[in-house]
Amino acid sequence: MFELLGIPPQALFGQLLLGLINGSFYALLSLGLAVIFGLLNIINFSHGAQYMMGAFVAWMLMTYAGINYWWALLLVPIIVGASGVVIERLMISRLYHLDHLYGLLLTFGLALIIQGLFRNRFGVSGLPYAIPAELTGAQNLGFMFLPNYRGWVVVASVVVCFGTWFAIERTRLGACLRAATENPTLVGAFGINVPRMITLTYGFGVGLAAFAGVLAAPIYSVNPNMGADLIIVVFAVVVIGGMGSILGAIVTGFGLGIVEGLTKVFYPEGSAVVIFVIMALVLLVKPAGLFGRTA
Amino acid sequence: MSEAMAMTEPATAPFLSVRDLEGWYDESHVLHGVDFDVNAGEVVTLLGRNGAGKTTTLRAIMGTLAKRRGSVRFNGRELIDLPPRAIARAGIAFCPEERGIFSSLSVEENLMLPPTVSQGGLSREDVLAMFPNLKERLSSQGTKLSGGEQQMLAIARILRTGAKFLLLDEPTEGLAPVIVQQIGRTLSELKSRGFTIVLVEQNFRFAASIADRHYVVEQGRVIDMIPNEELEANIGKLHAYLGV
Amino acid sequence: MKLKTLALAALATTLMAGSAMAQTAIKIGVLNDRSGTYADLSGEGSVVAARMAVEDFGAADKGIDVEIVSADHQNKPDVASNIARQWYDQDGVDVIVDVPTSSAALAVNEINREKGKIFLNSGAASTDLTGTACAPGTIHWTYDTYALANGTGKAMVDAGYKDWFFLTADYAFGHSLEENTTKVVTESGGTVVGSVRHPFPGTDFSSFLLQAQSSGADVIGLANAGGDTVNSIKQASEFGITQSGQALAGLLIFITDVHALGLETAQGLVLTEAFYWDLNDDTRAWSERFSAEMGGSKPTMVHAGVYSSVLHYLNAVEATGGKDTEALMAWMKENPSEDPVMGTGTVRADGRHMHDMYLFQVKTPAESTGPWDYYKLLATIPAEEAFRPLEEGGCPLVE
Ligand SMILES: Nc1ncnc2c1ncn2[C@@H]1O[C@H](COP(=O)(O)OP(=O)(O)OP(=O)(O)O)[C@@H](O)[C@H]1O
Ligand SMILES: [Mg+2]
Repeated sequence: MFELLGIPPQALFGQLLLGLINGSFYALLSLGLAVIFGLLNIINFSHGAQYMMGAFVAWMLMTYAGINYWWALLLVPIIVGASGVVIERLMISRLYHLDHLYGLLLTFGLALIIQGLFRNRFGVSGLPYAIPAELTGAQNLGFMFLPNYRGWVVVASVVVCFGTWFAIERTRLGACLRAATENPTLVGAFGINVPRMITLTYGFGVGLAAFAGVLAAPIYSVNPNMGADLIIVVFAVVVIGGMGSILGAIVTGFGLGIVEGLTKVFYPEGSAVVIFVIMALVLLVKPAGLFGRTA
Repeated sequence: MSEAMAMTEPATAPFLSVRDLEGWYDESHVLHGVDFDVNAGEVVTLLGRNGAGKTTTLRAIMGTLAKRRGSVRFNGRELIDLPPRAIARAGIAFCPEERGIFSSLSVEENLMLPPTVSQGGLSREDVLAMFPNLKERLSSQGTKLSGGEQQMLAIARILRTGAKFLLLDEPTEGLAPVIVQQIGRTLSELKSRGFTIVLVEQNFRFAASIADRHYVVEQGRVIDMIPNEELEANIGKLHAYLGV
Repeated sequence: MKLKTLALAALATTLMAGSAMAQTAIKIGVLNDRSGTYADLSGEGSVVAARMAVEDFGAADKGIDVEIVSADHQNKPDVASNIARQWYDQDGVDVIVDVPTSSAALAVNEINREKGKIFLNSGAASTDLTGTACAPGTIHWTYDTYALANGTGKAMVDAGYKDWFFLTADYAFGHSLEENTTKVVTESGGTVVGSVRHPFPGTDFSSFLLQAQSSGADVIGLANAGGDTVNSIKQASEFGITQSGQALAGLLIFITDVHALGLETAQGLVLTEAFYWDLNDDTRAWSERFSAEMGGSKPTMVHAGVYSSVLHYLNAVEATGGKDTEALMAWMKENPSEDPVMGTGTVRADGRHMHDMYLFQVKTPAESTGPWDYYKLLATIPAEEAFRPLEEGGCPLVE
């Protein structure tokens, strides 16, 4: 009953909007990965686990300390980001002089450990996290019933993505970051504390993942595997956008969410692979990614 | 060599004093004991053939050469064990041979990147007055500038920081004569404003036009020092050193 | 010197063999998902349940020495086969229990057939275990897709939810659950107006749910499991699908899923289970003991099935006085199973354990008196109605 192009435009709008909502998560997560890759040159395989931690820490704050969603949105990125700072200082920073592969293996191992710990403690069925009272309910848009919370997800994600883009591309701090990405030695020779910048950047990237985790908590199940399922797609998004490209990560994140959403209507069975098909095509045609600079 | 050294031993301690400076790239030993002094307000050059170790000497002073040994005293402080950022904060500014203009930064951002390390740097307006070409290109991408403009930008950005001691690595390399002249005038003006400059040069004619003294570097050592006023008399010796 | 060691070793072996003969030693292998989607509904809880069965049986007093080992099959058939082989060939395991995930269970079933051992499946859903793939040593203890489809599907159609739309996990289990339910729905007088297959595992189901919504069906049948079901239900509530009058039918929902959803979201769901902790005094007492060991979680029907099947098996060992597969299977099929957890049951020729199933509805938050008080009993489905008739399965063991 859903034959190709047999879809009324209204249903199509609905699906586009849903794609945009998923794209919000892709964008936030791939943005964090891109920021980290840009400066640290490592592919942060713990990103999915840190996203999951974001959701869990929000749940813990709520359950054990009665701290509500709004505070969690602020506190969780700081808490999880701080754990990232510790990880960078104690472990990742020792690997910069080695091949990238070591950073990848380390963060991959960390992801497995973190997921294992949460699985041990909380099981895998997932924990409930309520949508904040202010955002329950929905708007009837005519073409679809848009839950207020989903609308909020898009807004929050766009704001955070734009804010991050602005901070990196348009501020003095961002200029330092971009310069350090290109030539950390020279930036250090200007008197800037590059190691500290690297640490904080990692913390920030991890904080972005945690922020996405808090956003996800009320709508996806809070369970230890939630990041592992999502992160593979996000890696593909980063590759398509171009490793390390800030704008690329954001635009491809939202864009691929929409593409995937449309696939769910026209060919649902293909929705799990469409992003990887696009990745393969992009790699063939433009190996540096859509927004990447060719080396 | 030893008599040359003796001549530079003034009553007051020099601004920068380099002793027995050794340096390595991984296992390859490149500096074998560099000695020289720079007094406040001087322009001093390091001359030498390709691969003699001039750039490496600047890197060792700046701390960006990871493996180094010996003594670098600056303004009464030992720098040899400090990281580059602390050396920069001590008041030394560095303009690298490859210029190091950042392509992901605009001209303006490149100019404003180095942080202030002490009072008394040139203001943004002073700098732009000194390099009027940059003024029209402030919003361009840094690496879209011509070679000469990039060189000016590389010098301009370190004048703002308040550092009074500049390490300039071959600022005239590959530039048209008219630009070389402009840079020469700029360096003279900087000298008159009280900057102390260590200049690495291949072009000793250019060097002669502004420097007070010339050190000759060969195979990782300083082998001679020639005061600028004695340059004409030693031109033959210098040609031999430089192999021209 | 060397000779002496050898002689000693030989002596020791003889002595050990001697003592083993005096006492029966049984090794039970609990094989299930210990880290993935099904770890909560099977996992360590199944090991605990098996241990409780050994204690309640009083193995130690009866001179039967029981050892329990466990392993994680990660829901992968190849991993499951490898472990099963290793257990039988090298570790001396006598019986494998639990094994959720139909594909993994079918793989273990084949190894088991080849080795002539006993397989007491509690966790998997596929009716093939007692159908075309049935094996002389296999008993399918707790539930299957037929029983779920039959219980929930029929109940929903009878309650007036006639037009169905399926949201189906795109793999063997989902397909077979959809197929089974379709059959029940049409036979009960309902119709299927459409279906959509979603990737497994998935995170976002909103797109599929909206398709289901615009189909105008009375009820959306969720032919998926675990996290997929939990997320489908959550999102259906979020997109106002349940509020707008469309009902959800969870075709495979465990109490751990309801716990994850919270009553606010899960209320009103109709589901079929073989066990609920709060059925009677016996189930409450047993579940209390289980909770004490499992950090407060209540047992699922899979845990109950592991307990019940291990107990029946140990009774057979005691009665036959040995470990002969044929004798044990004959005893287990001839004698009813009887325990405080799943009550009485029988094992049919095709290996289907026959027992009553229960149709529950999830309570509203107001109806619930506390944690884990989740279900209202709607109906008890007698064993003969709950499971597929013997002759329909196509099991070669049935003449
Ligand atoms: N990054 C490096 N790794 C290894 N060896 C290096 C490196 N840079 C320079 N060298 C070697 O160190 C020696 C000194 O080089 P340096 O760059 O200091 O010479 P230079 O006097 O500045 O020469 P030029 O006039 O060509 O700039 C040379 O033999 C050079 O090959
Ligand atoms: Mg050089």
